[in-house]
Amino acid sequence: MTTTIPVRPEQSESVSARVLTHPSGPTDKIYAAVTRTSGLIVLLIMSLVGVFLAYRASQALRVQGLSFLTTQAWEPDSRNFGIAAILIGTILIALVAIAVAVPLAVGTALYISEYAPRRLKQTLISLVDLMAAVPSIVYGLWGLFFLQGNVTGVARWITSYFGWLPFLRVDGFKNSDPLAGPAGTLTSSTFIAGLVVGFMVTPIATSVMREVFSQAPVGEREGALALGATKWGMIRSVVLPFGKGGIIGGTMLGLGRALGETITVYLIISPVFTIQPHILQTGATSIAATIAGKFGAASAFGTSALFAAGLVLFLVTLVVNFIASSIVAKSRSGAVSDA
Amino acid sequence: MMSSRTRFWCAGLLSAGVVAVVTFMGAPAQAATYVPVSGAGSTWSQVALDQWRRNVVQYGIKINYAGTGSSDGRNQFRNGTVDFGVSEIPYGLKDSGVVDAPPSRGYAYMPIVAGGTSFMYNLVIGGKRVTNLRLSGVNIAKIFTGSIKTWNDKAIAADNPLLRLPSTKIVPVVRSDGSGTTAQFSTYLATKFPSLWNAYCAKAGRSTPCGVTSNYPVVPGAGFVAQSGSLGVSGYVSQSANVGTITYVEYAYALNTGFPVVKVLNRAGYYVEPTAYAVAVGLQGATVNTNSKSPAYLTQQLGGVYDNPDKRTYPLSSYSYMIIPTRQEFGFSSDKGYTLGAFAYYFLCQGQQQADVLGYSPLPINLVKAGLEQVRRIPGVDVQSINIAKCNNPTFSASGKNLLAQLAPAPPACDKQGATQCTTGTGGQRRTSTAVSNGTPSQGGSSAAGGQADATSTTTGTVGTSSGASSGGGTGASLGNEVQATSQLVPPSNGWTTQRSAALIAVVMLLALIVVPPLVARILQAQGSAKANPR
Repeated sequence: MTTTIPVRPEQSESVSARVLTHPSGPTDKIYAAVTRTSGLIVLLIMSLVGVFLAYRASQALRVQGLSFLTTQAWEPDSRNFGIAAILIGTILIALVAIAVAVPLAVGTALYISEYAPRRLKQTLISLVDLMAAVPSIVYGLWGLFFLQGNVTGVARWITSYFGWLPFLRVDGFKNSDPLAGPAGTLTSSTFIAGLVVGFMVTPIATSVMREVFSQAPVGEREGALALGATKWGMIRSVVLPFGKGGIIGGTMLGLGRALGETITVYLIISPVFTIQPHILQTGATSIAATIAGKFGAASAFGTSALFAAGLVLFLVTLVVNFIASSIVAKSRSGAVSDA
Repeated sequence: MMSSRTRFWCAGLLSAGVVAVVTFMGAPAQAATYVPVSGAGSTWSQVALDQWRRNVVQYGIKINYAGTGSSDGRNQFRNGTVDFGVSEIPYGLKDSGVVDAPPSRGYAYMPIVAGGTSFMYNLVIGGKRVTNLRLSGVNIAKIFTGSIKTWNDKAIAADNPLLRLPSTKIVPVVRSDGSGTTAQFSTYLATKFPSLWNAYCAKAGRSTPCGVTSNYPVVPGAGFVAQSGSLGVSGYVSQSANVGTITYVEYAYALNTGFPVVKVLNRAGYYVEPTAYAVAVGLQGATVNTNSKSPAYLTQQLGGVYDNPDKRTYPLSSYSYMIIPTRQEFGFSSDKGYTLGAFAYYFLCQGQQQADVLGYSPLPINLVKAGLEQVRRIPGVDVQSINIAKCNNPTFSASGKNLLAQLAPAPPACDKQGATQCTTGTGGQRRTSTAVSNGTPSQGGSSAAGGQADATSTTTGTVGTSSGASSGGGTGASLGNEVQATSQLVPPSNGWTTQRSAALIAVVMLLALIVVPPLVARILQAQGSAKANPR
């Protein structure tokens, strides 16, 4: 039914841009120079971070070579370490987080921009922004001391009924055993860490999405309503297609943050250094949490190994952000979203 | 008309905030010569350190301490990012083939407190918490190396003749960060059960012989859980759903979380709890380096503690150390030395009185004397000649013998290895006894409901500041005199103090922080829209 909505002709592309003839004064020149310099400085800092990481990582990478990418262990002092398990662990936690955060964020953003009464709107926006400002250690402590004890029942239910899916299986867990507590089987898992990280990235994703949704053209909204669309129909045919870039942008921004989330994950997980595809099972790992956990007590070589892990995280985050910005730039609302 | 009212509101809130900030900043304006000193390290001794830090605030001494683990404390001290470190083990030990190099800056060790590395557990029989579990050293080693997997293992049953233990899986909870507690525990394992320990280490991908390590090796898929920090492991075990877990942690954490600890079998054949007495007795077997020229001066050798033949011994007793700077470098000024010195004098003397109540054991007189000598090496310290008889340290006696160890009660006969077992509780559950469940199953069943209520009503910690808290169970008489002395040091807790007003203001400000921004935003928006389309 989306085809019934008339699309505004894109006039701006057919008409060539008017040439500005006004001579740029000294103010303009200074402004251009300042912005250009700051842009370059940002690039310079980024590349320096990369170079520094690569430099500090080189000692460990030279020893381990390509097996750094395939080894599932983290014993740098025994020269037995690699990124395979912790990189996959990082991605799994981020995916769980995104699976939680995206539906929640889309719903919240839609409610705030479309359904909330005007009086409530501003309060909700401030509340969401406030949630984004809560430090991650607070989320971590909440997850560790409150959520974990209460959410293992959900994990138990999921694995009891959907355990036939390989990634939802929990080794050593028997639902028929009433004595079996969640300890050692269902706690400190990828799922719980991802859940808390998901709650953390929700506000950020929400504010990006809400901003974009609220900019859906009023003319099109009114057009849809005039053609007899219900409110939900209008949202489906105007707001959501318009806000696609914002949804993807917000998701990717959240993914970037979830990949790098440190202290929350560190508090909740029980680190294992083998690939752990069972997301409900005790034992998880992530690059950032490994660095946080091992850095304080690392030897010189161990520090170099951690820098190598950091370099990998840096590259992964860079790639995610590049993909995000290219998707967002291509979409219609891309110009206005700040992702 | 609305705007004038809102302005009044905003002004009121703002002024309240300003007043609050001024009140906060105005409070500690005394004792200008003390400067903040920062330290990092052990979480094993953090409970005691935190209490001492709070106690000296009244003198204007501000000590910052981050419990980030002993390994991190030693690293940070070496790198010069903190003024002092706290660690259970000294520099120079070999861990996974790498020697933990001593720092280039001047340093010395100073013992701060003694304590027992306890085994805190979460175990339930018939809906009622078990509080009197006993284990031999070899069974502890087998549990923490994964060869005993369930609680109803025959070896554990032999330690606990009166308990019908469930077939619940044992979930050992270990430290994921570099930890002095792990180092103490692995020293014990490597000394007493080298074959078990090395086999386990090899399975976890470490090179053997494994020896002492600060990072507990974990075999993937063995059902172990690793958490960071003492608070992390004790917090994990104390979650009520996590039945079947057991961890190694300082006794204080078991008291604080209200959980029982394992009575460990000693050389004389008695199962003993790590009370202040048992630790003091055990540590009489410790060898302390008395060569004051050696860089490892005052550090401990614990082999004699593990095998101390005294029947009152807790075998996993040890000291914790502060690593103090002896030169003015890495930003350590004489003002900082003055402050750190005053703090050290406080905790070596008066602070030791509180050790027992907090879950530690006070230092004996020889280590206090040696510690006071070490304080002189801190640059900038205001050397005090302390009359240690006035310290009210419960270990001091006129004869110079360790009074605490002399007074320590003999373990009750039911704690002897054999066919019987004490039913009294331990640790944070010392007032909750456990019903006999083996051989009389009906009794265990009937007491389940009542037992639970009993357990919840008596979990309140014994760690508070009240007097006589340390009596009961197998502990015997309380250390009355030292508890009385405590009340003189700590400001009286009843009555409205500045601290309470500050707390109230903090709460109000926090609420304001949550409520005000949305309110202001709404008001501003209302004003903006009113200006945009005036009616």
